[in-house]
Amino acid sequence: MAVTPSQAAPHHGDPQPTDAQRAARKGAQHAPGTPLSQFGAERVLPSGEREVALDVRTSDMEINFGPQHPATHGVMRVLMRTDGELVTGAQPHLGYLHRCAEKIGESVEWLQYLPYTDRYDYLAAMNNNLAYSMAVEALLGVPIPRRAEMLRVICAELNRIGSHLVAIGTYGLDIGAFTPFFYAFREREWMMALFEKICGARLTYSYIRIGGVFNDAPVGWLEDVARFCDTFEEKWQEYFDLLMVNQIFIKRTANIGVISKEMAFDFGLTGPMLRGSGVDWDLRRDLPYSLYGEICRDKAFGIPIARGEMGQLGDCWDRAWVRTVEMMESVKIVRWCLQHIEPGPVLGDIPKTLRVPVGEVYVGIENPRGELGHYVVSDGGKIAIRVRVRGPSFTNLAVVEELLPGALVGDAIAIIGSTDIVVGETDR
Amino acid sequence: MDFQGIHDRLRACNAPGLLGIDLPRGPDPKDKKDKGRAGDPFVLVEPSKLASFLTVCRDDERLSFEMLIDLSAVDPAKEDPNFWVVVSLLSVQRKHRLQIKCVLPKSQASLPSTVPVYRASQWHERECAEMFGIRFEGHPDPRNILLPDDWVGHPMRKDYEFPKEYHGISCE
Repeated sequence: MAVTPSQAAPHHGDPQPTDAQRAARKGAQHAPGTPLSQFGAERVLPSGEREVALDVRTSDMEINFGPQHPATHGVMRVLMRTDGELVTGAQPHLGYLHRCAEKIGESVEWLQYLPYTDRYDYLAAMNNNLAYSMAVEALLGVPIPRRAEMLRVICAELNRIGSHLVAIGTYGLDIGAFTPFFYAFREREWMMALFEKICGARLTYSYIRIGGVFNDAPVGWLEDVARFCDTFEEKWQEYFDLLMVNQIFIKRTANIGVISKEMAFDFGLTGPMLRGSGVDWDLRRDLPYSLYGEICRDKAFGIPIARGEMGQLGDCWDRAWVRTVEMMESVKIVRWCLQHIEPGPVLGDIPKTLRVPVGEVYVGIENPRGELGHYVVSDGGKIAIRVRVRGPSFTNLAVVEELLPGALVGDAIAIIGSTDIVVGETDR
Repeated sequence: MDFQGIHDRLRACNAPGLLGIDLPRGPDPKDKKDKGRAGDPFVLVEPSKLASFLTVCRDDERLSFEMLIDLSAVDPAKEDPNFWVVVSLLSVQRKHRLQIKCVLPKSQASLPSTVPVYRASQWHERECAEMFGIRFEGHPDPRNILLPDDWVGHPMRKDYEFPKEYHGISCE
Protein backbone atom coordinates (compact mmCIF):
# COMPACT_ATOMS: atom_id res chain seq x y z
CA MET A 1 0.00 0.00 0.00
CA ALA A 2 1.69 3.16 -1.19
CA VAL A 3 1.50 6.15 1.10
CA THR A 4 1.22 9.57 -0.36
CA PRO A 5 1.95 12.64 1.76
CA SER A 6 -1.72 13.59 1.70
CA GLN A 7 -2.59 10.34 3.50
CA ALA A 8 0.16 10.80 6.00
CA ALA A 9 -0.12 11.49 9.66
CA PRO A 10 -2.32 14.40 10.65
CA HIS A 11 -0.82 17.24 12.62
CA HIS A 12 -0.98 16.86 16.34
CA GLY A 13 0.45 19.03 19.03
CA ASP A 14 3.11 21.38 17.74
CA PRO A 15 2.14 24.03 15.23
CA GLN A 16 3.77 23.41 11.90
CA PRO A 17 5.68 26.07 9.94
CA THR A 18 3.64 27.21 6.97
CA ASP A 19 4.91 26.64 3.46
CA ALA A 20 5.71 30.34 3.11
CA GLN A 21 7.84 30.29 6.27
CA ARG A 22 9.66 27.20 5.08
CA ALA A 23 10.37 28.77 1.70
CA ALA A 24 11.64 31.93 3.35
CA ARG A 25 13.96 29.93 5.59
CA LYS A 26 15.26 27.90 2.68
CA GLY A 27 15.84 31.02 0.63
CA ALA A 28 17.75 32.65 3.44
CA GLN A 29 20.06 29.66 3.76
CA HIS A 30 20.96 29.75 0.12
CA ALA A 31 21.42 33.45 -0.39
CA PRO A 32 25.11 34.32 0.05
CA GLY A 33 26.00 37.08 2.42
CA THR A 34 22.81 36.85 4.48
CA PRO A 35 23.51 38.15 7.99
CA LEU A 36 23.55 35.38 10.58
CA SER A 37 20.86 37.13 12.61
CA GLN A 38 18.49 36.05 9.87
CA PHE A 39 18.60 32.54 11.33
CA GLY A 40 17.88 33.23 14.96
CA ALA A 41 18.32 35.38 18.03
CA GLU A 42 21.63 37.19 18.36
CA ARG A 43 23.32 38.48 21.49
CA VAL A 44 26.71 39.86 22.45
CA LEU A 45 28.62 37.91 25.08
CA PRO A 46 30.66 39.69 27.83
CA SER A 47 33.81 38.82 25.91
CA GLY A 48 32.55 40.87 23.00
CA GLU A 49 31.92 37.86 20.80
CA ARG A 50 28.61 37.53 18.99
CA GLU A 51 26.48 34.45 19.69
CA VAL A 52 23.76 33.43 17.29
CA ALA A 53 21.28 30.77 18.33
CA LEU A 54 20.69 29.06 15.03
CA ASP A 55 17.20 27.95 14.22
CA VAL A 56 17.84 24.36 13.31
CA ARG A 57 14.29 23.45 12.43
CA THR A 58 14.37 21.09 9.49
CA SER A 59 11.67 20.28 7.03
CA ASP A 60 9.16 17.63 7.96
CA MET A 61 10.05 14.08 7.18
CA GLU A 62 7.82 11.05 7.05
CA ILE A 63 9.30 7.85 8.41
CA ASN A 64 7.86 4.41 8.14
CA PHE A 65 8.58 2.72 11.43
CA GLY A 66 8.08 -0.93 10.54
CA PRO A 67 6.41 -3.12 9.36
CA GLN A 68 9.60 -5.14 9.79
CA HIS A 69 11.09 -3.46 12.82
CA PRO A 70 12.01 -5.45 15.93
CA ALA A 71 10.49 -2.86 18.25
CA THR A 72 7.03 -3.26 16.74
CA HIS A 73 6.91 -6.78 18.27
CA GLY A 74 5.39 -8.26 15.16
CA VAL A 75 4.37 -6.81 11.86
CA MET A 76 3.03 -3.35 12.38
CA ARG A 77 3.78 -0.05 10.73
CA VAL A 78 3.70 3.35 12.37
CA LEU A 79 3.88 6.23 9.94
CA MET A 80 5.62 9.02 11.79
CA ARG A 81 5.98 12.62 10.80
CA THR A 82 9.12 14.07 12.30
CA ASP A 83 10.62 17.49 12.57
CA GLY A 84 14.26 16.68 13.24
CA GLU A 85 14.23 14.50 16.34
CA LEU A 86 10.71 15.49 17.27
CA VAL A 87 7.72 13.38 16.34
CA THR A 88 4.88 15.64 15.24
CA GLY A 89 2.38 13.05 14.11
CA ALA A 90 1.94 9.30 14.21
CA GLN A 91 -0.45 6.93 12.59
CA PRO A 92 -0.36 3.17 13.29
CA HIS A 93 -1.24 1.02 10.29
CA LEU A 94 -2.48 -2.42 11.26
CA GLY A 95 -3.69 -5.43 9.42
CA TYR A 96 -0.44 -7.07 8.32
CA LEU A 97 -1.22 -10.03 10.55
CA HIS A 98 -4.97 -10.11 10.02
CA ARG A 99 -6.09 -13.75 9.87
CA CYS A 100 -9.88 -13.30 9.94
CA ALA A 101 -10.23 -14.95 13.37
CA GLU A 102 -13.74 -13.60 13.84
CA LYS A 103 -14.89 -14.84 10.44
CA ILE A 104 -13.38 -18.25 11.12
CA GLY A 105 -15.29 -18.23 14.41
CA GLU A 106 -18.57 -18.25 12.53
CA SER A 107 -17.44 -20.90 10.05
CA VAL A 108 -16.15 -23.72 12.28
CA GLU A 109 -17.71 -25.63 15.15
CA TRP A 110 -17.47 -24.39 18.72
CA LEU A 111 -14.77 -26.84 19.79
CA GLN A 112 -12.84 -26.48 16.54
CA TYR A 113 -12.40 -22.76 17.11
CA LEU A 114 -10.32 -23.28 20.25
CA PRO A 115 -6.93 -23.63 18.47
CA TYR A 116 -7.53 -20.30 16.72
CA THR A 117 -7.74 -18.57 20.08
CA ASP A 118 -4.13 -19.63 20.75
CA ARG A 119 -3.08 -17.47 17.88
CA TYR A 120 -4.27 -14.05 18.87
CA ASP A 121 -1.97 -13.32 21.75
CA TYR A 122 0.50 -16.11 21.14
CA LEU A 123 2.51 -15.21 24.23
CA ALA A 124 -0.43 -15.98 26.50
CA ALA A 125 -2.25 -18.78 24.72
CA MET A 126 -3.46 -20.39 27.95
CA ASN A 127 -5.25 -17.22 28.96
CA ASN A 128 -6.85 -16.97 25.52
CA ASN A 129 -8.08 -20.56 25.77
CA LEU A 130 -9.51 -19.77 29.17
CA ALA A 131 -11.31 -16.66 27.92
CA TYR A 132 -12.97 -18.43 25.02
CA SER A 133 -13.85 -21.53 27.05
CA MET A 134 -15.42 -19.38 29.75
CA ALA A 135 -17.54 -17.51 27.23
CA VAL A 136 -18.92 -20.74 25.76
CA GLU A 137 -19.38 -22.25 29.23
CA ALA A 138 -21.38 -19.18 30.27
CA LEU A 139 -23.94 -20.12 27.61
CA LEU A 140 -23.74 -23.86 28.28
CA GLY A 141 -24.01 -23.49 32.04
CA VAL A 142 -21.93 -26.60 32.71
CA PRO A 143 -20.12 -27.11 36.02
CA ILE A 144 -16.33 -27.28 35.86
CA PRO A 145 -14.56 -29.88 38.03
CA ARG A 146 -12.57 -28.29 40.83
CA ARG A 147 -9.27 -29.88 39.87
CA ALA A 148 -9.74 -28.53 36.34
CA GLU A 149 -10.26 -25.02 37.74
CA MET A 150 -7.06 -25.41 39.76
CA LEU A 151 -5.07 -26.52 36.73
CA ARG A 152 -6.58 -23.68 34.72
CA VAL A 153 -5.50 -21.08 37.24
CA ILE A 154 -2.00 -22.59 37.55
CA CYS A 155 -1.54 -22.60 33.77
CA ALA A 156 -3.01 -19.14 33.28
CA GLU A 157 -0.75 -17.66 35.94
CA LEU A 158 2.36 -19.47 34.70
CA ASN A 159 1.57 -18.13 31.25
CA ARG A 160 1.15 -14.66 32.68
CA ILE A 161 4.67 -14.94 34.12
CA GLY A 162 5.98 -16.10 30.76
CA SER A 163 4.20 -13.31 28.94
CA HIS A 164 5.47 -10.62 31.29
CA LEU A 165 8.98 -12.04 31.03
CA VAL A 166 8.86 -11.47 27.29
CA ALA A 167 7.27 -8.08 27.84
CA ILE A 168 9.99 -6.71 30.09
CA GLY A 169 12.79 -8.65 28.39
CA THR A 170 12.01 -7.28 24.96
CA TYR A 171 11.24 -3.88 26.42
CA GLY A 172 14.79 -3.75 27.72
CA LEU A 173 16.00 -4.91 24.34
CA ASP A 174 14.03 -2.18 22.58
CA ILE A 175 15.77 0.53 24.50
CA GLY A 176 19.23 -0.98 24.52
CA ALA A 177 19.51 -3.35 27.49
CA PHE A 178 20.58 -6.61 25.93
CA THR A 179 21.23 -8.87 28.92
CA PRO A 180 17.84 -8.96 30.71
CA PHE A 181 16.33 -10.37 27.54
CA PHE A 182 18.42 -13.54 27.84
CA TYR A 183 17.72 -13.83 31.56
CA ALA A 184 13.99 -13.54 30.86
CA PHE A 185 14.07 -16.15 28.14
CA ARG A 186 15.94 -18.56 30.41
CA GLU A 187 13.00 -18.70 32.84
CA ARG A 188 10.46 -18.64 30.04
CA GLU A 189 12.13 -21.67 28.55
CA TRP A 190 11.52 -23.55 31.80
CA MET A 191 7.91 -22.41 31.82
CA MET A 192 7.47 -23.66 28.26
CA ALA A 193 9.03 -26.98 29.19
CA LEU A 194 6.41 -27.30 31.94
CA PHE A 195 3.67 -26.67 29.42
CA GLU A 196 5.23 -29.12 27.02
CA LYS A 197 5.01 -31.77 29.71
CA ILE A 198 1.37 -31.12 30.45
CA CYS A 199 0.00 -30.68 26.94
CA GLY A 200 2.72 -31.42 24.41
CA ALA A 201 2.92 -27.93 22.94
CA ARG A 202 5.28 -25.09 23.67
CA LEU A 203 3.46 -22.09 22.30
CA THR A 204 -0.06 -22.85 21.09
CA TYR A 205 -1.44 -25.07 23.79
CA SER A 206 -5.22 -25.53 23.34
CA TYR A 207 -4.96 -27.12 26.78
CA ILE A 208 -7.84 -25.39 28.51
CA ARG A 209 -10.95 -26.76 26.84
CA ILE A 210 -14.64 -26.07 27.07
CA GLY A 211 -15.71 -27.96 30.20
CA GLY A 212 -12.32 -28.26 31.88
CA VAL A 213 -8.79 -29.04 30.73
CA PHE A 214 -7.56 -31.51 28.14
CA ASN A 215 -5.85 -33.96 30.48
CA ASP A 216 -4.59 -34.30 34.02
CA ALA A 217 -1.12 -33.18 35.03
CA PRO A 218 1.45 -35.95 34.59
CA VAL A 219 3.11 -37.51 37.65
CA GLY A 220 5.55 -35.11 39.27
CA TRP A 221 4.37 -32.09 37.31
CA LEU A 222 3.02 -30.20 40.30
CA GLU A 223 6.34 -30.72 42.10
CA ASP A 224 8.10 -29.34 39.04
CA VAL A 225 5.88 -26.27 39.18
CA ALA A 226 6.72 -25.83 42.86
CA ARG A 227 10.43 -25.98 42.00
CA PHE A 228 9.90 -23.44 39.26
CA CYS A 229 8.21 -21.10 41.74
CA ASP A 230 11.10 -21.40 44.21
CA THR A 231 13.72 -20.70 41.58
CA PHE A 232 11.72 -17.92 40.00
CA GLU A 233 11.41 -16.07 43.29
CA GLU A 234 15.21 -16.01 43.55
CA LYS A 235 15.72 -14.99 39.95
CA TRP A 236 13.06 -12.31 40.02
CA GLN A 237 15.31 -10.09 42.10
CA GLU A 238 17.85 -10.25 39.29
CA TYR A 239 15.43 -8.73 36.80
CA PHE A 240 14.47 -6.07 39.21
CA ASP A 241 18.07 -5.12 39.93
CA LEU A 242 19.19 -5.48 36.36
CA LEU A 243 16.43 -3.52 34.72
CA MET A 244 13.95 -1.72 36.93
CA VAL A 245 16.42 0.12 39.13
CA ASN A 246 19.04 0.50 36.45
CA GLN A 247 19.84 4.19 36.05
CA ILE A 248 19.97 4.02 32.25
CA PHE A 249 16.63 2.25 32.12
CA ILE A 250 15.09 4.79 34.46
CA LYS A 251 16.43 7.68 32.39
CA ARG A 252 14.98 6.17 29.24
CA THR A 253 11.53 5.46 30.69
CA ALA A 254 10.72 7.79 33.60
CA ASN A 255 8.55 10.78 32.64
CA ILE A 256 8.19 9.41 29.11
CA GLY A 257 4.79 8.66 27.58
CA VAL A 258 2.74 9.77 30.56
CA ILE A 259 -0.85 8.50 30.53
CA SER A 260 -3.12 10.20 33.02
CA LYS A 261 -5.91 8.36 34.75
CA GLU A 262 -8.58 10.22 32.74
CA MET A 263 -6.82 9.44 29.49
CA ALA A 264 -6.56 5.77 30.42
CA PHE A 265 -10.32 5.65 31.05
CA ASP A 266 -11.11 7.57 27.88
CA PHE A 267 -9.07 5.21 25.73
CA GLY A 268 -10.43 2.13 27.48
CA LEU A 269 -6.99 0.91 28.55
CA THR A 270 -6.95 -2.23 30.64
CA GLY A 271 -4.48 -4.44 32.48
CA PRO A 272 -0.99 -3.17 33.33
CA MET A 273 -1.59 -0.08 31.19
CA LEU A 274 -4.45 0.95 33.47
CA ARG A 275 -2.70 -0.02 36.70
CA GLY A 276 0.38 1.79 35.42
CA SER A 277 -1.70 4.97 35.52
CA GLY A 278 -2.53 4.40 39.18
CA VAL A 279 -6.00 2.88 38.79
CA ASP A 280 -6.72 0.13 41.28
CA TRP A 281 -8.49 -2.31 38.99
CA ASP A 282 -8.00 -5.98 38.29
CA LEU A 283 -10.77 -8.22 37.01
CA ARG A 284 -9.38 -11.15 38.98
CA ARG A 285 -10.23 -9.35 42.19
CA ASP A 286 -12.99 -6.91 41.25
CA LEU A 287 -15.20 -9.09 39.06
CA PRO A 288 -13.81 -12.49 40.05
CA TYR A 289 -14.14 -15.54 37.83
CA SER A 290 -12.92 -19.13 38.09
CA LEU A 291 -11.26 -19.60 41.50
CA TYR A 292 -10.00 -16.05 41.84
CA GLY A 293 -12.80 -15.03 44.20
CA GLU A 294 -11.71 -17.74 46.63
CA ILE A 295 -8.03 -16.86 46.24
CA CYS A 296 -8.85 -13.21 46.94
CA ARG A 297 -10.79 -14.09 50.08
CA ASP A 298 -7.65 -15.85 51.32
CA LYS A 299 -5.75 -12.66 50.48
CA ALA A 300 -3.23 -14.82 48.66
CA PHE A 301 -2.16 -12.17 46.19
CA GLY A 302 -1.99 -8.43 45.79
CA ILE A 303 -2.51 -6.06 42.89
CA PRO A 304 0.48 -3.83 42.20
CA ILE A 305 -0.60 -0.26 41.48
CA ALA A 306 1.88 2.24 40.10
CA ARG A 307 2.76 5.17 42.34
CA GLY A 308 4.95 7.20 40.02
CA GLU A 309 8.09 6.39 41.98
CA MET A 310 10.63 7.42 39.35
CA GLY A 311 8.76 10.28 37.77
CA GLN A 312 5.26 11.27 36.86
CA LEU A 313 2.50 8.74 37.52
CA GLY A 314 1.62 6.80 34.38
CA ASP A 315 4.99 6.94 32.62
CA CYS A 316 6.68 4.05 30.82
CA TRP A 317 8.64 3.06 33.93
CA ASP A 318 5.43 2.63 35.92
CA ARG A 319 3.98 0.28 33.34
CA ALA A 320 7.14 -1.82 33.25
CA TRP A 321 7.19 -1.86 37.06
CA VAL A 322 3.60 -3.11 37.26
CA ARG A 323 4.45 -6.01 34.94
CA THR A 324 7.57 -6.91 36.86
CA VAL A 325 5.88 -6.93 40.26
CA GLU A 326 2.82 -8.74 38.90
CA MET A 327 4.97 -11.76 38.12
CA MET A 328 5.63 -12.28 41.83
CA GLU A 329 1.91 -12.04 42.59
CA SER A 330 1.28 -14.73 39.99
CA VAL A 331 3.79 -16.95 41.77
CA LYS A 332 1.77 -16.51 44.96
CA ILE A 333 -1.43 -17.56 43.17
CA VAL A 334 0.30 -20.66 41.77
CA ARG A 335 1.52 -21.49 45.29
CA TRP A 336 -2.00 -21.18 46.68
CA CYS A 337 -3.28 -23.59 44.02
CA LEU A 338 -0.49 -26.07 44.69
CA GLN A 339 -1.49 -26.09 48.35
CA HIS A 340 -5.19 -26.57 47.68
CA ILE A 341 -5.22 -28.90 44.67
CA GLU A 342 -6.86 -32.29 45.18
CA PRO A 343 -7.31 -35.31 42.94
CA GLY A 344 -10.44 -35.50 40.84
CA PRO A 345 -11.79 -35.39 37.32
CA VAL A 346 -10.46 -32.68 35.00
CA LEU A 347 -13.00 -32.59 32.17
CA GLY A 348 -16.75 -32.26 32.44
CA ASP A 349 -19.20 -34.24 30.38
CA ILE A 350 -18.95 -32.40 27.07
CA PRO A 351 -20.14 -34.05 23.84
CA LYS A 352 -17.81 -34.16 20.82
CA THR A 353 -20.28 -32.19 18.73
CA LEU A 354 -21.31 -29.30 20.87
CA ARG A 355 -24.66 -27.57 20.51
CA VAL A 356 -24.64 -24.36 22.48
CA PRO A 357 -28.00 -23.02 23.75
CA VAL A 358 -29.51 -19.96 22.11
CA GLY A 359 -28.12 -16.82 23.63
CA GLU A 360 -25.46 -14.19 23.65
CA VAL A 361 -22.91 -13.37 26.29
CA TYR A 362 -19.91 -11.16 26.87
CA VAL A 363 -17.17 -12.56 29.09
CA GLY A 364 -14.03 -10.61 29.81
CA ILE A 365 -11.08 -11.90 31.78
CA GLU A 366 -7.77 -10.45 32.93
CA ASN A 367 -5.13 -11.41 30.39
CA PRO A 368 -1.49 -10.38 30.82
CA ARG A 369 -2.13 -7.44 28.49
CA GLY A 370 -5.53 -6.43 29.80
CA GLU A 371 -9.11 -7.45 29.38
CA LEU A 372 -9.63 -10.13 26.75
CA GLY A 373 -13.33 -10.27 26.02
CA HIS A 374 -15.33 -12.67 23.95
CA TYR A 375 -18.83 -11.75 22.84
CA VAL A 376 -20.38 -14.92 21.48
CA VAL A 377 -23.81 -15.35 19.92
CA SER A 378 -25.41 -18.74 19.40
CA ASP A 379 -28.62 -19.74 17.64
CA GLY A 380 -28.58 -23.19 19.22
CA GLY A 381 -26.59 -24.79 16.42
CA LYS A 382 -23.18 -26.37 16.01
CA ILE A 383 -21.61 -23.17 14.71
CA ALA A 384 -21.53 -19.73 16.30
CA ILE A 385 -23.39 -16.78 14.80
CA ARG A 386 -20.72 -14.39 15.99
CA VAL A 387 -17.47 -14.63 17.90
CA ARG A 388 -16.30 -11.15 18.69
CA VAL A 389 -12.82 -10.87 20.16
CA ARG A 390 -12.03 -7.79 22.16
CA GLY A 391 -8.25 -7.89 22.25
CA PRO A 392 -6.50 -5.75 24.85
CA SER A 393 -3.55 -4.99 22.56
CA PHE A 394 -5.87 -3.47 19.98
CA THR A 395 -7.35 -0.94 22.38
CA ASN A 396 -4.08 -0.31 24.21
CA LEU A 397 -2.29 0.51 20.97
CA ALA A 398 -4.78 3.26 20.09
CA VAL A 399 -3.27 5.46 22.78
CA VAL A 400 0.01 5.60 20.82
CA GLU A 401 -1.59 7.97 18.30
CA GLU A 402 -2.02 10.38 21.16
CA LEU A 403 1.27 9.79 23.02
CA LEU A 404 3.79 9.96 20.19
CA PRO A 405 3.28 13.53 18.93
CA GLY A 406 5.61 15.68 20.96
CA ALA A 407 7.96 12.84 21.87
CA LEU A 408 11.48 12.34 20.52
CA VAL A 409 12.11 9.61 17.97
CA GLY A 410 14.16 7.63 20.50
CA ASP A 411 11.35 7.86 23.03
CA ALA A 412 8.87 6.65 20.45
CA ILE A 413 10.43 3.19 20.76
CA ALA A 414 10.16 3.38 24.54
CA ILE A 415 6.49 4.38 24.31
CA ILE A 416 5.47 1.72 21.79
CA GLY A 417 7.39 -0.90 23.76
CA SER A 418 5.69 0.08 27.00
CA THR A 419 2.23 -0.63 25.54
CA ASP A 420 3.41 -4.26 25.24
CA ILE A 421 1.35 -5.15 22.23
CA VAL A 422 1.27 -8.48 20.49
CA VAL A 423 0.40 -7.87 16.87
CA GLY A 424 -1.36 -11.21 16.60
CA GLU A 425 -3.95 -9.73 18.92
CA THR A 426 -4.24 -6.24 17.46
CA ASP A 427 -4.96 -7.75 14.05
CA ARG A 428 -6.52 -11.07 15.08
CA MET B 1 -25.17 -2.43 41.00
CA ASP B 2 -26.90 -5.36 39.35
CA PHE B 3 -28.61 -5.12 35.97
CA GLN B 4 -32.01 -4.28 37.44
CA GLY B 5 -30.51 -1.46 39.49
CA ILE B 6 -28.72 -0.04 36.44
CA HIS B 7 -31.90 -0.21 34.38
CA ASP B 8 -33.94 1.53 37.08
CA ARG B 9 -31.33 4.23 37.32
CA LEU B 10 -31.35 4.71 33.54
CA ARG B 11 -35.15 5.07 33.66
CA ALA B 12 -34.89 7.49 36.56
CA CYS B 13 -32.51 9.81 34.73
CA ASN B 14 -34.50 9.59 31.46
CA ALA B 15 -31.62 8.20 29.43
CA PRO B 16 -32.30 9.24 25.82
CA GLY B 17 -33.20 6.49 23.38
CA LEU B 18 -33.76 3.75 25.98
CA LEU B 19 -36.22 1.35 24.34
CA GLY B 20 -36.36 -1.59 26.72
CA ILE B 21 -34.50 -4.60 28.00
CA ASP B 22 -33.69 -8.05 26.69
CA LEU B 23 -33.35 -10.52 29.55
CA PRO B 24 -32.21 -14.13 29.42
CA ARG B 25 -35.14 -16.47 29.96
CA GLY B 26 -35.97 -20.15 30.19
CA PRO B 27 -37.83 -22.04 27.47
CA ASP B 28 -41.53 -21.33 27.08
CA PRO B 29 -43.41 -24.49 28.23
CA LYS B 30 -46.37 -23.75 25.91
CA ASP B 31 -44.24 -23.33 22.79
CA LYS B 32 -42.17 -26.41 22.00
CA LYS B 33 -40.03 -24.58 19.45
CA ASP B 34 -39.01 -21.87 21.89
CA LYS B 35 -35.72 -22.71 23.57
CA GLY B 36 -35.40 -19.59 25.70
CA ARG B 37 -32.28 -17.49 25.74
CA ALA B 38 -29.12 -17.85 27.82
CA GLY B 39 -26.45 -15.27 28.56
CA ASP B 40 -26.32 -11.60 29.48
CA PRO B 41 -29.14 -9.12 29.94
CA PHE B 42 -29.06 -6.24 27.44
CA VAL B 43 -30.56 -2.78 27.30
CA LEU B 44 -32.00 -1.89 23.92
CA VAL B 45 -31.21 1.59 22.67
CA GLU B 46 -32.30 3.55 19.64
CA PRO B 47 -29.25 3.77 17.33
CA SER B 48 -29.67 7.45 16.50
CA LYS B 49 -29.45 8.32 20.23
CA LEU B 50 -26.64 5.94 21.17
CA ALA B 51 -24.08 8.71 21.64
CA SER B 52 -26.29 10.74 23.98
CA PHE B 53 -27.26 7.56 25.83
CA LEU B 54 -23.59 6.79 26.41
CA THR B 55 -23.02 10.34 27.64
CA VAL B 56 -25.60 9.75 30.38
CA CYS B 57 -24.01 6.41 31.26
CA ARG B 58 -20.61 8.05 31.56
CA ASP B 59 -21.62 11.20 33.42
CA ASP B 60 -24.28 9.94 35.82
CA GLU B 61 -22.74 9.66 39.25
CA ARG B 62 -24.38 6.39 40.23
CA LEU B 63 -23.75 4.69 36.91
CA SER B 64 -20.27 6.17 36.28
CA PHE B 65 -19.29 3.99 33.34
CA GLU B 66 -15.82 5.40 32.80
CA MET B 67 -14.82 2.94 30.14
CA LEU B 68 -16.11 1.71 26.84
CA ILE B 69 -14.72 -1.80 26.68
CA ASP B 70 -16.04 -2.94 23.36
CA LEU B 71 -18.10 -1.84 20.40
CA SER B 72 -18.92 -4.28 17.65
CA ALA B 73 -21.71 -5.42 15.39
CA VAL B 74 -23.49 -8.65 14.56
CA ASP B 75 -25.10 -9.75 11.33
CA PRO B 76 -27.55 -12.31 12.74
CA ALA B 77 -28.49 -13.98 9.44
CA LYS B 78 -28.51 -13.45 5.69
CA GLU B 79 -32.29 -13.01 5.67
CA ASP B 80 -32.39 -10.79 8.75
CA PRO B 81 -33.17 -7.18 7.82
CA ASN B 82 -31.19 -5.80 10.75
CA PHE B 83 -27.70 -5.47 12.18
CA TRP B 84 -27.06 -5.30 15.90
CA VAL B 85 -24.53 -2.85 17.23
CA VAL B 86 -23.37 -4.05 20.62
CA VAL B 87 -21.57 -1.90 23.18
CA SER B 88 -20.00 -3.08 26.40
CA LEU B 89 -19.40 -0.61 29.21
CA LEU B 90 -17.48 -1.01 32.44
CA SER B 91 -17.45 1.01 35.62
CA VAL B 92 -14.26 0.80 37.64
CA GLN B 93 -15.66 2.81 40.51
CA ARG B 94 -18.93 0.88 40.87
CA LYS B 95 -17.62 -2.48 39.65
CA HIS B 96 -20.41 -3.21 37.23
CA ARG B 97 -20.85 -3.85 33.53
CA LEU B 98 -23.57 -3.02 31.04
CA GLN B 99 -24.27 -4.51 27.63
CA ILE B 100 -26.09 -2.27 25.19
CA LYS B 101 -27.69 -3.36 21.95
CA CYS B 102 -28.93 -1.25 19.05
CA VAL B 103 -30.96 -2.81 16.27
CA LEU B 104 -30.09 -1.10 13.02
CA PRO B 105 -31.79 -1.71 9.64
CA LYS B 106 -29.37 -3.00 7.00
CA SER B 107 -30.98 -0.78 4.40
CA GLN B 108 -29.94 2.31 6.33
CA ALA B 109 -26.95 1.24 8.36
CA SER B 110 -25.76 4.48 9.83
CA LEU B 111 -25.63 5.97 13.30
CA PRO B 112 -23.86 8.89 14.97
CA SER B 113 -20.28 8.24 16.04
CA THR B 114 -19.62 7.72 19.75
CA VAL B 115 -16.03 8.98 19.58
CA PRO B 116 -16.91 12.34 21.23
CA VAL B 117 -18.07 10.38 24.29
CA TYR B 118 -15.38 7.69 24.52
CA ARG B 119 -12.24 7.93 22.43
CA ALA B 120 -11.84 4.18 22.93
CA SER B 121 -14.51 3.63 20.31
CA GLN B 122 -12.44 5.25 17.57
CA TRP B 123 -10.72 2.08 16.40
CA HIS B 124 -13.67 -0.17 17.22
CA GLU B 125 -15.90 1.94 14.99
CA ARG B 126 -13.38 1.86 12.17
CA GLU B 127 -13.26 -1.92 12.38
CA CYS B 128 -17.04 -2.14 12.56
CA ALA B 129 -17.42 0.15 9.55
CA GLU B 130 -15.08 -1.79 7.28
CA MET B 131 -16.29 -5.23 8.36
CA PHE B 132 -20.06 -4.56 8.21
CA GLY B 133 -20.45 -1.43 6.14
CA ILE B 134 -22.03 0.49 8.99
CA ARG B 135 -21.52 4.23 8.73
CA PHE B 136 -20.58 6.16 11.86
CA GLU B 137 -21.56 9.74 11.11
CA GLY B 138 -19.00 12.27 12.22
CA HIS B 139 -16.16 9.82 12.84
CA PRO B 140 -12.89 11.80 12.87
CA ASP B 141 -10.82 9.29 10.91
CA PRO B 142 -13.06 7.00 8.84
CA ARG B 143 -10.40 4.91 7.10
CA ASN B 144 -10.06 1.15 6.99
CA ILE B 145 -8.07 -0.19 9.91
CA LEU B 146 -7.43 -3.90 9.37
CA LEU B 147 -8.31 -4.26 5.69
CA PRO B 148 -6.36 -2.71 2.81
CA ASP B 149 -7.75 0.60 1.57
CA ASP B 150 -8.93 -0.89 -1.72
CA TRP B 151 -10.77 -3.89 -0.27
CA VAL B 152 -14.14 -4.53 -1.90
CA GLY B 153 -17.10 -5.58 0.25
CA HIS B 154 -17.65 -6.01 3.97
CA PRO B 155 -16.30 -9.41 5.04
CA MET B 156 -18.24 -9.94 8.26
CA ARG B 157 -21.61 -9.65 6.56
CA LYS B 158 -23.31 -12.99 6.16
CA ASP B 159 -23.98 -12.32 2.47
CA TYR B 160 -20.31 -11.57 1.73
CA GLU B 161 -18.90 -13.35 -1.28
CA PHE B 162 -15.26 -14.27 -1.05
CA PRO B 163 -13.17 -12.66 -3.78
CA LYS B 164 -11.81 -14.85 -6.57
CA GLU B 165 -8.57 -12.92 -6.74
CA TYR B 166 -6.81 -10.00 -5.14
CA HIS B 167 -4.39 -7.90 -7.24
CA GLY B 168 -3.83 -10.79 -9.62
CA ILE B 169 -3.29 -13.34 -6.82
CA SER B 170 -5.76 -16.19 -6.99
CA CYS B 171 -7.65 -16.80 -3.75
CA GLU B 172 -9.06 -20.18 -4.69
